[in-house]
Amino acid sequence: MRDKNLETKLRLVSLQLDNWKRLHDLITYGLDKAKPIISSEQERQFTEVRSNLLQETEYVLRELNIVAEVSGKAMSVLQRGVSMRGVRDLPSDEIRRLETDWNGAFTKLGLMQGQLKARRKELADQSVVEYYWNLFRDRLNRRPAAAH
Amino acid sequence: METRILVSNADPVFQDRALAILDENADLEIQIVRTLSEAVSALLNENFDGLIIEGESGLAMDQATNVRQHFPSLTIACLLHDYRRAQTQGIANEQNIELLAMSRNDRLLRANLNGFVRSLDSHPGTAAEGIDPCHSLIGNLNQFSAAEILQMSCLSQRSGRFTFKSSRGNSEIYLQQGSVRHAVFGSLEGEAAVAEVFRWRQGRFYFEEGIISQDQTVNRPWAHLLIDNLQKLDETLELVSV
Repeated sequence: MRDKNLETKLRLVSLQLDNWKRLHDLITYGLDKAKPIISSEQERQFTEVRSNLLQETEYVLRELNIVAEVSGKAMSVLQRGVSMRGVRDLPSDEIRRLETDWNGAFTKLGLMQGQLKARRKELADQSVVEYYWNLFRDRLNRRPAAAH
Repeated sequence: METRILVSNADPVFQDRALAILDENADLEIQIVRTLSEAVSALLNENFDGLIIEGESGLAMDQATNVRQHFPSLTIACLLHDYRRAQTQGIANEQNIELLAMSRNDRLLRANLNGFVRSLDSHPGTAAEGIDPCHSLIGNLNQFSAAEILQMSCLSQRSGRFTFKSSRGNSEIYLQQGSVRHAVFGSLEGEAAVAEVFRWRQGRFYFEEGIISQDQTVNRPWAHLLIDNLQKLDETLELVSV
């Protein structure tokens, strides 16, 4: 059994995680003082990833029902990290905040991906009939007991 | 064995109708990329049975034509948002690119995509050769590239047949007195087949001395082929960095 909504959510969370990973790679490079040159190509990639995240984050988080938990942290990262050179020039407390917020958003999305994959695995072992039978049984069990 | 498809879509979050339909197929593994350079990078690193490029016809056809130059044996389809048969069909035929229309009707779109997926051969021959006394040279493409092996054999004026086996399929290259005489990979023959083998990073190969081909599909000296193909490979790698 394959659930269409579940597959969509998994696709969205994977795309979102990919972008957060790429952003992190570029931020890490920007913060690495041993690598002094930031090329215009790297800045272009950074802008591209940031633009994708700005467009998609709210929508994806809403689809996953985690807007309240993650949106603030995600926006904080995207607002602080305006460019790779901008990140390099941030004061140390701002950098720490950026890393903490990135980690918060990334952790929640990673957990969500794990839960969705587990659910997919569970569903893969069920036939359509079993799935609807379990659904029906759950509903039946949830019905309040009749008053005496 | 799952069929693996690479989907290039610049906006996979908001333009996801085709992706949702492909997701319904449990026997299909899809990888999504957003740009041409990501697609080329994925194609260089992994094996895919097919590539779908989704987008406006001008850009999608440009990208497909570009990919075709670097991956001659790959099955490519363009899923066009503004499908106009007359304008694109000629180039598509020339470049062996399949055109699919992004129909507004879900059933039609599903039929188009499922037709393409069915057309992919998901079970190419896998390497399964043992050690045979007639194989005078056996090895692994992880350790020696096809270019290195062919260079060595051509320099020593060998005649015989090289068989290359990878998850992409099998290819045969025939040498005669240190020159490549004939090459074949699936439906590709000649220089295109040689170019394909140059890109393989994984697989096995063996050489059988003395087997000569009657056909001659390669007419240029080995040195020219080597330089051209290495240059092409460089161009492919450049695309990844764009």
